[in-house]
Amino acid sequence: MQAQDEPRSGDGPADDTRIYLIEDDPTVLQFVRQALLSRPHWRLLGHSDSLAHARVHALRADANVFLVDLGLPDGRGEDLLHLLAREKPGAELLVFTVFGEESRLVGALEAGATGYVLKGCTGEDLTAAIEQIREGGAPISPLLARMLLKQFRLVQEALPVIPVVALREEVLLSERETDVLKLVAQGYVNKEIASKLAISPTTVGTHIKNLYRKLAVHSRVQVVRAAQERGLL
Amino acid sequence: MSPKARVRQILSRVPAYLWAGVLLVILLVLLALVTQGGAPQGAAQVTRADRVTVRNGVETVQAVALPHLWDDGTQTWGNEVQYRLRLPTAAPEATPGDPQLALLLPRVGVRFRVLFNGQEVESQAWRRGPGYFDTGTHAHLVPLPQSLRKPLWEDNRVEIQLQPQALRISGLAPVWIGARDALQERHQRLIWWQVHLTWMVAASALMMGLLSLLIWMMSEERLLGLLAAGLLVLTLRLYLSTPLFLPGPFLAWDYLHKLTFTLYCGFLYLFISELFDFRQSVVRKLVKVMMVIGPVWLGVLVWTQNYNLYRLWTGVIVLVCVLALLKVIHRARWGMDVNQRLMVVVGLATMVTGLRDFLVVQVGLPGDVDIRWMTAGSLVLMFAMGWVLVQRTSQSMEQVERLNAELAHKVSEREEELHAMFSRLRAVESQRVLETERRRLTRDMHDGLGSQLVQTLNLVHSSGERVESAAIAFMLNHALEELRMTLDSLEPMGGDLPTILGTLRQRIAPALKAASIELDWQVQEVPAVPGLEARGVMHLFRCLQEVFANVVKHAHASRVAVRTWQHGERICLSVTDNGVGLGDAPDSGYREGGRGISNIRLRAAEIGAEVWFSGALPGTRVTFSFAHEGPMVGAAEA
Repeated sequence: MQAQDEPRSGDGPADDTRIYLIEDDPTVLQFVRQALLSRPHWRLLGHSDSLAHARVHALRADANVFLVDLGLPDGRGEDLLHLLAREKPGAELLVFTVFGEESRLVGALEAGATGYVLKGCTGEDLTAAIEQIREGGAPISPLLARMLLKQFRLVQEALPVIPVVALREEVLLSERETDVLKLVAQGYVNKEIASKLAISPTTVGTHIKNLYRKLAVHSRVQVVRAAQERGLL
Repeated sequence: MSPKARVRQILSRVPAYLWAGVLLVILLVLLALVTQGGAPQGAAQVTRADRVTVRNGVETVQAVALPHLWDDGTQTWGNEVQYRLRLPTAAPEATPGDPQLALLLPRVGVRFRVLFNGQEVESQAWRRGPGYFDTGTHAHLVPLPQSLRKPLWEDNRVEIQLQPQALRISGLAPVWIGARDALQERHQRLIWWQVHLTWMVAASALMMGLLSLLIWMMSEERLLGLLAAGLLVLTLRLYLSTPLFLPGPFLAWDYLHKLTFTLYCGFLYLFISELFDFRQSVVRKLVKVMMVIGPVWLGVLVWTQNYNLYRLWTGVIVLVCVLALLKVIHRARWGMDVNQRLMVVVGLATMVTGLRDFLVVQVGLPGDVDIRWMTAGSLVLMFAMGWVLVQRTSQSMEQVERLNAELAHKVSEREEELHAMFSRLRAVESQRVLETERRRLTRDMHDGLGSQLVQTLNLVHSSGERVESAAIAFMLNHALEELRMTLDSLEPMGGDLPTILGTLRQRIAPALKAASIELDWQVQEVPAVPGLEARGVMHLFRCLQEVFANVVKHAHASRVAVRTWQHGERICLSVTDNGVGLGDAPDSGYREGGRGISNIRLRAAEIGAEVWFSGALPGTRVTFSFAHEGPMVGAAEA
């Protein structure tokens, strides 16, 4: 079991970024600590090296950014994401992954993740990713965009059987979101997409983050539907 | 075994034709009992008469014996004849309740009227115009009114006048005279035999004919077709045998009536020859000739109205029937199946009924001359044919069921074999794919990641105590990128070229940025490219890696553009830089025959793509061209 309360990594009270790390690799902990040196006002509130520890301590921590490794020694990170998404709705949930693993990322996003960071990136990349997500943006890859388009098309097909009308807007892609996803899938970066669609790069990020949120809602709608079919609701 | 069961076992072993034979003997005995001759009580039979004909105003009287046929003599047609009955000397005894007397005319025709003491008491079609009339088909009961009767019996006169018809046997059979009650009973009995029984046979023939026709249409078995034809022709013949009157000309109906007999005999024989498998028989050919000549011969008969032609034709039919019977008997010596034996037994029984009619009516052997056994014989023959029909059908159905069961069993066996074979093939194919993928991954790991790690390790070894961490980090990062690229290639991209390029962009963008080369991304949706699965993606990655490496290392470019588009049936991808161009510098990277170009060409060929290297003025353009199938399945359709 690792310490839950890390010393403050930053001094400046202006930025309110409070991070909690769930990762069993001590070198990653070391890497995060190293990376946060460039942001002295950010704080690493604590870290857990197992699912069991995180279930208790991460929930108690007053963090607004959770860095979650999917491959924990005692369980799946997706389960923890579900829990954090429910208990910490205002927090950003970033998945830590060695490789893109887009197939697994879709599952993580459905579980409530709002972004991801590649392990092996530089410290600058990590802080940039956290800043991006704190400012309302979200990382995405072309393959992930392609998978999301497929996923949302399935939602579209299932629309007539979605029982709650109010949920439709929450789970369906808007026209602009579809355009963004298509361009991402074609390999365009946020700046190019913004230029093509005559919007700001920040808006592009917001759209992508919205997609993630809808994906999580979709996942919850599926759970509700399954419960209704079984007569539990 | 109980005695009852033993009897049942013995009975079940007795063949059907033996049963039929026994039943037929019983039937013949019953017929003999039922039709045993005997005068009705209170009636006398008149067997003699004076035939009176008038020619050129001269009356000729001639004593004749009854039955008397009109065409037995030399008289020509178109006249009338009168029979003055020689009544019994003693008056018949009337019954106490009904003193009236009556005449019973079992066979008389074709038109007639009865005069009692000069007064007409019965007339059948006597004054009707031309048309089809034949009163000879029914028995007729004629009451003799008491008021016309003279006190002295010997003073009473009964005269029967006839009008004959060409081509139809006309005349008068023995007449009964006596109490009306007694003759009425006899009349009803004759009507039952002559009319009702004929209708029953006709109805049975029609029913069985239609049934045979239906089964023949389903099974297309020739035997059933012949049976249906024979039975339907027989129905028509029986229908034409009973009515007193039919609308239309007499000769047309008579022609049809005679023709049906020819056709019935023909079809019946063909049916039997089919049943007995006499396919090459001479008699069979003769029958066919008879059925073709018959209509013409009968046409000539109508034209000439010479009854002798019909007698001759009947002789031909009888001759053919005798030949057929001999053939059957000949065949019987070589053994027959149950159905054939049954038909022989029933056929012989039917012939017995015909023989009996001939002997009783023509030869005068004891028996009721007014009742013909042949009708009942025909009915039995028909039921026998029906039995054969049922047997044949049930045998065919059993055979079909047996064949179906065998077929289903064989199909099931083959299905299982195929299933097992497909399972083996699937397993082999799966193993082959796994093996191919394993080799590919091993090769990629060896060439990419492995060589990067070896280089890094060599660097660490050669650096000694002073490890250059920046260089090591750079090389490890490179190795990690190699690994990521290999893993990216395994993601399901469905041949979507833009997504594949976008994924590659993530890997090459940092290197381009580091080299201060601007990336101009002009990728647009194009149809899916078949063959760009995991292995194909890796080949494309390697090709483009080589191209971008050249751009970074050798081209001295400041800008590189990536573009996709569709050109007819081809999907195109180009990478264009604004560097030194082909051949402008000795180390431009693209030398024909050089390793870079040949690697790219080899990998492009692996994924079915064509590749060109051209000058871009300034710079170099590398263009890949892929074949595509199907509609646009870009990111939007992913």
